[in-house]
Amino acid sequence: MLLFRGNDWLKSLSSEEKQKVTDQWMAWFRRLTDESKAVAGNPLEREGKIVSGKNRVVSDGPFAESKEAIGGYFLLDVASLHDAVAIAQECPGLPYGVQVEVRPVAAECPVASELKREAEFATV
Amino acid sequence: MLLYRSDEWYNTLSQEQLQKLISQNKAWIERLSAEGRVKPGRALERTGAIVSGINGRFVTDGPFAESKEAIGGYLVLDVETIEEAIAIAQSSPGLAYGGSIEVRPVAAECPLDVRARELARNEQFANV
Repeated sequence: MLLFRGNDWLKSLSSEEKQKVTDQWMAWFRRLTDESKAVAGNPLEREGKIVSGKNRVVSDGPFAESKEAIGGYFLLDVASLHDAVAIAQECPGLPYGVQVEVRPVAAECPVASELKREAEFATV
Repeated sequence: MLLYRSDEWYNTLSQEQLQKLISQNKAWIERLSAEGRVKPGRALERTGAIVSGINGRFVTDGPFAESKEAIGGYLVLDVETIEEAIAIAQSSPGLAYGGSIEVRPVAAECPLDVRARELARNEQFANV
């Protein structure tokens, strides 16, 4: 999975540049879809909410102009992290400061597998 | 879309608590799927890479598992409103132990497009 981080980079672009990056981004996603390397992807709206803690408090977030905020994602279908990194390197937003986080999707919940490993140790 | 913020809050749980939470989570997801309110979600491995810079020339290890900003997994919901999505996030069993969930509307169109249109419109006004 590719997570596109940062949404403060847009401010510095002219409308022409923005249009150019958008078109490149869309064309990139279409090509990856045609090549069956991307199976899903979506931009996310800039506003949202954070739900946290025992009391399930709802607060505003994420923070519209932050280097860490996630602006969208692609779900890829590739064999290795290496392949995914190569695709991430084609991201049209990179020259403008976008960071792409590349994350392997877990076959099962990592918490569950950790627990299983511990159980195995315990029985040895 | 729900994004699970993971700062490894679950490391403080005992094996029993974890096992309980895992079963609760499973039941929760099964209920939401049965109700047609969730599409398949996945957990993310705690490893990965960060690509940045022109032509993606910087590839560094990441993310940082203990960071509050790190994402541990995601769920794509099939609901009409953000209120419904918030209510689902609030029913997540993991919240009882800490952790937080980011609720984000999936954009109908790319926010880049919207912003480019806004700017173009402003320029048009400026020229009038």
